[in-house]
Amino acid sequence: MMSTTSLSVSAVPYADALTRLRTAAAQASPAEALSREELLAAYHPDHNEDARVALRVGGNRGMLCHPTLACLLEGNALVGDVDLVALDPVVTDVLVIGGGGAGAAATLAARRGGADVVLAAKLRVGDSNTVMAEGGIQAAIGEEDSLQRHFDDTLKGGHGAGEPELIARLVRDAPEVIRWLIGLGVSFDLAEGPLAGGRLLRKRGGGTTAARILSHRDFTGLEMMRVLREAVELDRGVTVLNRAPAIELLSDERGRCVGAVLYDLELRRLRLVCAGAVVLATGGAGRLHLSGFATSNHYGATADGLALAYRMGAQLRDIDSFQYHPTGIAWPGHLAGGLISEAVRSFGATLVNGQGARFIDELSPRDVVTSAILRECAEGRGVVRDGLIGVFLDTPTLLANRPALLREQLVSLGHLAHRAGIDPTREPMLIYPTLHYQNGGVVIDTDGASTVPGLYCAGEVTGGVHGRNRLMGNALLDIIVFGRRAGAAAARHAAAAEPGRFGLGHVQSWQRELTCAGLIEGPRSPILYPAYGHFDLRRHMAASQD
Amino acid sequence: MTPLKTVLLDPALKLGADFPAWRRVGGGEGLAAALAAPQAIISTLEAAQLRGMGGAGFPTWRKWSAVVAAASDDKVVVCNGNEDEPGTFKDRYLLRFTPHQVIEGALIAAIAVKASEVIFYVNPHQAEGLEVMRRAVMEWTATDLLAAVEAAVGRPIKLRVAPSAGRYVGGEETAIVSWLDGDFPFPQRKPPYPFENGVGGRPTLINNVETLANVPHILKNGANWYRALGLGIAAGTKLFSLSGDVLRPGLYELPMGTSLQDLVFGHGGGMLERRGFKAVFTGGPSNTLLTVRDLDVALDFDSVRARRSHLGTGAMIVISEGTSIVRKVAEYVAFFANGSCGQCPSCKCGTFQMARLLERIATGRGSGADRQALEHLCSILPGSGRCGLIDGAVTVVKSSIETFPEEYPSQLRDVS
Amino acid sequence: MSDRIRLSVDGRMLEVATPVSILQAASADGTPLTANVGCLGQGVCGACRCMVRKQDEADVTTVLACETLAEDGMQVSFIDYFIPDRPHVYDVAEITDVWRLSNAVSGIFPEAAQCRHCGGCDRACPKELDVQRGVALAVAGDLAGAAGIFDQCVMCNLCTLACPERIWPNHLGLMVRRALTALTLRPSDLIHRLNELERGGDVLDLSGTASTGTAAVVSDGR
Repeated sequence: MMSTTSLSVSAVPYADALTRLRTAAAQASPAEALSREELLAAYHPDHNEDARVALRVGGNRGMLCHPTLACLLEGNALVGDVDLVALDPVVTDVLVIGGGGAGAAATLAARRGGADVVLAAKLRVGDSNTVMAEGGIQAAIGEEDSLQRHFDDTLKGGHGAGEPELIARLVRDAPEVIRWLIGLGVSFDLAEGPLAGGRLLRKRGGGTTAARILSHRDFTGLEMMRVLREAVELDRGVTVLNRAPAIELLSDERGRCVGAVLYDLELRRLRLVCAGAVVLATGGAGRLHLSGFATSNHYGATADGLALAYRMGAQLRDIDSFQYHPTGIAWPGHLAGGLISEAVRSFGATLVNGQGARFIDELSPRDVVTSAILRECAEGRGVVRDGLIGVFLDTPTLLANRPALLREQLVSLGHLAHRAGIDPTREPMLIYPTLHYQNGGVVIDTDGASTVPGLYCAGEVTGGVHGRNRLMGNALLDIIVFGRRAGAAAARHAAAAEPGRFGLGHVQSWQRELTCAGLIEGPRSPILYPAYGHFDLRRHMAASQD
Repeated sequence: MTPLKTVLLDPALKLGADFPAWRRVGGGEGLAAALAAPQAIISTLEAAQLRGMGGAGFPTWRKWSAVVAAASDDKVVVCNGNEDEPGTFKDRYLLRFTPHQVIEGALIAAIAVKASEVIFYVNPHQAEGLEVMRRAVMEWTATDLLAAVEAAVGRPIKLRVAPSAGRYVGGEETAIVSWLDGDFPFPQRKPPYPFENGVGGRPTLINNVETLANVPHILKNGANWYRALGLGIAAGTKLFSLSGDVLRPGLYELPMGTSLQDLVFGHGGGMLERRGFKAVFTGGPSNTLLTVRDLDVALDFDSVRARRSHLGTGAMIVISEGTSIVRKVAEYVAFFANGSCGQCPSCKCGTFQMARLLERIATGRGSGADRQALEHLCSILPGSGRCGLIDGAVTVVKSSIETFPEEYPSQLRDVS
Repeated sequence: MSDRIRLSVDGRMLEVATPVSILQAASADGTPLTANVGCLGQGVCGACRCMVRKQDEADVTTVLACETLAEDGMQVSFIDYFIPDRPHVYDVAEITDVWRLSNAVSGIFPEAAQCRHCGGCDRACPKELDVQRGVALAVAGDLAGAAGIFDQCVMCNLCTLACPERIWPNHLGLMVRRALTALTLRPSDLIHRLNELERGGDVLDLSGTASTGTAAVVSDGR
């Protein structure tokens, strides 16, 4: 699925563009004609007219939101009380929903806090955006760096919209998070020196004023997720439920979150989990393909947690703000949306348009770079190949200067290029922005608590940490910092919670609101899988009765 | 009802390792006949129509001829006593209670192919049988019989008992060679076959215990005598390992060509608890099923083949009404999955995936898509391994779907 | 550029335009996709394991469907995500003595010493890692060598499924990697910062105006 900017816009044919690239002299970073705000306002997808509507129901009624997402947030529930009859609940202390980095970190922290944990994953533990992350994780450990600088970069990168307390928490916890990860067995590359006493390799990303991104090659997410997943799966106090998406939360008579209704895909039956506290770590929304963009996201990124939390009354923020990563692969079409790490630009690769010219500082914040690319394509300076539009990422020049990079630091780039049938040392890659990250989400405090008692959230599903634009390396940090805090807080909450009745009272309230707004006949949410997953819950359940 | 036969299972021959006692009841007369006319050994077996009893039913004389034709004067005879498949328990009896007729048959083979070594490959799980074979082989050393054999072959003959690896795959011929050469019993790609390149690179004849046990009787009494033992088109007798839901499970020696009806309801005493007959895993768990429609089938290689099944080792595992065929097949496929040697991921992963689908279907959680996926596996897996394990697993699964489709989810149902 | 090809997946006949991955082809007929799917092409999550038989070939190989191009006449069977038996349980925090790490490894993975060298793990690995050699190195005590072999392992568990000795090779590799890192990685810059923070060096100005005049957020790409 691809945002093929239609060919009513002109673009430079691939072969011509390639010639121009190869004959162009080395160029300095261009001066930027438009201010950052002007560039974003003119070209960033968030600012398109049809990218925003006001929510019509719920606690954030009136808030601006992408229409596709609004559909989910305004959606009706998938189940009613009648479906809960005769279901025997599994009872636990903490229920974690979501099997990515935030969910795993929350699980381990909750265990550390003495809680029994049920971890429910829609696919499997580890299937997530986390495992796909390439660039790295930020932590202000360099001598020339400081927590203050990390804080400032993050706040500024988010256009000043981030919540200062959350950002402070993020940057303060970072060094300890790295130590915690190392203690679990997560490896980080060294710049120089031996394992004991050496210095970590640190990269700069767009919008960072110091090199503070730590990494393991260019598959930091894989390294982190496989260790976290193993730690979770080996913990006997954790019950892992794979293929068990949450389709509704449970509430008690006081409106606290006390568990969830899961759908067991294997047995085709509903299951109830009653818990003292719930941690939602359901990730992002890329597979909604907002505005028809391709995405870098995992198959399960369908904003499930956002819909569930909102229905229960949790406050949201910045839900009209999405990050489009500048360098998604554009050609060949069957790989569209796949990510090329920002690390490639960190090492010095440049972006070149169809006329052979650079057009933006490659290490500007992502939304700026994205907008610049969209501008080039909109104004006829894009490159077109087999009907697919984009600009060049000049890997040949980079790799000519630093050939060892492909073997050592840019392994994933090599794999992707190979799958695309491209030799990155000789041919540039055609790239186009790809829907990458949900900047906003559920409002949380520094312990991951949402505005609904008993409901904690962590990771991409939350808002306020990254403001309106996330910096590279802050997402992996976010999931561990707030995953751990949410897990610990959930464990404390569960230990103190008195058991009450569980039910779907919040669903009934919601349905009354929908009826009043004339939306009761609308679509239902969460959708669990993208449209091309061809999934219908009732049909799936019914098949078991033949 | 076709009466029992007592050639191999003659009570008079049930003497264990006692060599003199065996000689007194006529033991060694087959060997004497072979020594008298060594050039006629193979043609006698051809006339007798002796078939391999280890599962394949391959004409024995042709296998011996192939080894004879191999260009080398250093050959090996291996008696395959690995017997490690559920439902087969004939070879262990012969080795433990009548070792000498087996050894005699192997030595006749040594004469025919001019072997310098005879190896008795015995499953160590059969601890008593292994011990008896060791003693029995010892009894042959320095006897006049063995000296006569060595004279006929023109060289000294080494006899030894080699415990097998005690694994299911260890019964496959190239796996036997791997093991005897000092490695894990890994099946190998064929060609080359053991008759060209076997133990230590030497041409090797590998025959099943029951096959070899028949040889001395054929040489002693003649090919016509042997053929006449069988019914209809079949020759000789067969040891049937009857098990499952019958009143009298056990080992039965009957004429080749005895009907399934006679075996199950005559000698076997009929079904346990008077339940209905549902099916029989013919030849064991890696072959096809015969059902109520096939009770009249003559149990010989060619007649069973005509019913699209396989006599195999003569194992007959009887299943009664009320038993889930899918559950039984799931158990067998799990057995194969665990017995897979590991060389071929298609076999290891394929059997595990089939077992998982079967398990899901057996517990009522299977869908039409699962059945479809199972059938698809059955079409892509055969021939993808180095041995026939994966093929056997597929055969029994396919057969169960064909003979009992009602136990599988309907294909017309649902999206998964 | 687009040709049409036909292939069968789990018994369903599909006709699709190339180029397309096996995974993309698999749901082209509207079949619900609720398992064996994940990163959709990056090849990093290991979810989409399948067996593939190419037209006119006897061999059946195990691959990841999202990173394998669909070809005409291919026959594909997906492998459910399940494990055939119990995992090797350990807590990396309880391994504290690097001198005895090798002993810990063999204590937690005793089967590794019984490797029968069938090579099934190597053949099963969709990333073509030297799995069998990785196990052998671990058994021999060359832990760094073993760790290196499993560097790009995506933990798809095909080798674990394929191993007849229940070694769980990829988990052995991961354990070695984890233990080595947890016991030996002690970056001086990280430690220095942690010590500073312990002494109270984490006072932050949350106003957003504390940026010390470094206007150059944007700089030349190096």
